[in-house]
Amino acid sequence: MNNLKAFDHKFWGPGFFVLLPGLLGFLLFYIAPFLLSLGYGFTDKAVGGSFAGLDNYADLLQNPAYLKALKNSLIFMGLCIPLNMALSLVLALMVRSAGKYRGIFVFIFLIPLVVPSGSMVFFWKAVFSHHGMLNGLLNSLGLTSINWLASGWSRLVVLLIFIWKNLGYNMVLFLAGLGSIPPEYYEAAQIDGAGRFSCFRYITAVSLAPTFVLVLIMSVVNSFKVFKEIYLITGSYPHESIYMLQHFMNNMFNSLNYQKLATATSLMVLIMTMLTQLLLRLERKVG
Amino acid sequence: MMQPEKGNKAIIIFLLFFSVVFLLPLLVSLTNSLMPEAEIQMNYTDKRSVFDVLDQIQEKFIRFRFIPGRITLSQYKEVLINQPSFLALLLNSAKITLPVVVGNIVFSLLSAYGFTIWQWRCKEAVFFIYILVMLMPLQAVLVPNYIIADFLNIRDSYLAIILPGIFSPFGAFLLRQQMKHIPPAYLEAAKIDGAGVCQTFFHVVLPQMKSGIAALAMLIFIDYWNVVEQAVIFIKDYTREPLSVYLSRLVEGQTGLAFAASCVYMLFPFWMLVLGQKHLEKGIEMSGVK
Repeated sequence: MNNLKAFDHKFWGPGFFVLLPGLLGFLLFYIAPFLLSLGYGFTDKAVGGSFAGLDNYADLLQNPAYLKALKNSLIFMGLCIPLNMALSLVLALMVRSAGKYRGIFVFIFLIPLVVPSGSMVFFWKAVFSHHGMLNGLLNSLGLTSINWLASGWSRLVVLLIFIWKNLGYNMVLFLAGLGSIPPEYYEAAQIDGAGRFSCFRYITAVSLAPTFVLVLIMSVVNSFKVFKEIYLITGSYPHESIYMLQHFMNNMFNSLNYQKLATATSLMVLIMTMLTQLLLRLERKVG
Repeated sequence: MMQPEKGNKAIIIFLLFFSVVFLLPLLVSLTNSLMPEAEIQMNYTDKRSVFDVLDQIQEKFIRFRFIPGRITLSQYKEVLINQPSFLALLLNSAKITLPVVVGNIVFSLLSAYGFTIWQWRCKEAVFFIYILVMLMPLQAVLVPNYIIADFLNIRDSYLAIILPGIFSPFGAFLLRQQMKHIPPAYLEAAKIDGAGVCQTFFHVVLPQMKSGIAALAMLIFIDYWNVVEQAVIFIKDYTREPLSVYLSRLVEGQTGLAFAASCVYMLFPFWMLVLGQKHLEKGIEMSGVK
């Protein structure tokens, strides 16, 4: 769209004025307050504070609760992202081979995505609570109960719920990527006598490389959404193995600790900016 | 992959089986919402009844009953008619979600159109900031939201959630992606024929944006119908909470109607999926940053 000669090329062109209302709102509600919070991170008090340099950052990085939350968030992302990507790719490949039933299966796997987290809270609690259905099952098999939500097992529970909810999103992205591979590739490979596996290895996997990076970016972003489920099921202080960065920040809100909040926000924005930058570059490279 | 029309029988059978397992949480919620409240209360408690004690049952576990002993709409009657507070909470959710959906569509259309016709050489750099903010996790945006709500003195109002929602950069991004599919020649032709910026928008651009708008509406509706974090931070009064948050509290006391309440709440986004599956798929595809 860079050669729209009929329109003005100036900064003050009509395009600017059409954009202006949205841009002002964006600046007011996102950029300006973020810059302010960035400033809070460098002062020692919210009102009338003096410049504190990197003290707040040093404090935060020595805060045991923050470090635990950071560690848990990284562990969760390290588990949920690859697992969800692998499963959704397999699912996309299968749904693609389902012929005329494809639409129905896409519908089915998208349902959890649209169901509000709150609607499932009662069900998940009934399954995983100490006297829940799952422990009842274990008991009837003669096994001892497991404290699903209040032990290291809670990681597995959270992972399961996350994948249940987000499988469909990645599957749709993979389906779109698979759909953009020209069928002639496969036909040519078949004529050359390529088997199923080599078709996948040399055509599907190679052509899907940009989709992989795209799914990776969206998975990183979406992995933070798991907080809704954890929070609704286990509250502000869950078992320590599922105490995430989001819990830390949420609890800082309750104690109104502006400095810690602003510092944690700035750090998160910094890390996410670097990460997404890196991934976007990678995407352009493989694309 | 091999026979796209007929489909692979073994795979279809496997997917069918997997779908049933996958949908189990929803099927249980649905069948259980048709149970009488007493039956729910009996199945979903870990407290031992007199008979359990007499039978020397040490521990009682929650049992799922898939088929209700007696099918009844009494839970729904309780939720929808006998307890007006539930409807009030449902209305709270609507009061937050609908303004965000409508407002975001209006401002996102403007912004996307602005980005399309604005010819400043650094506009892509501005747009890149939109993308960066869009990719931020919600928690990174909450503190700025809180600061501005404090500044505008709207901290205890739904506006603290609604206004950032209206101006969230995601809509502008999504609609601009869609607008890229309109051939530039259309816009130039309109300009040459003497159409102004407004006329071009209403007669050339808008008619091509229907599916993009539908996709955006669905994605935002799903997102804000499921609002949790913002509500927890901004809304301190239980009666003003959206149902998405309240449901997690409701279940502790009123076991008997939890399933019906959950089903009523999920009905709206589910209905949207039924009507607009194709749009939602398109929306997800377009929301990927390329």
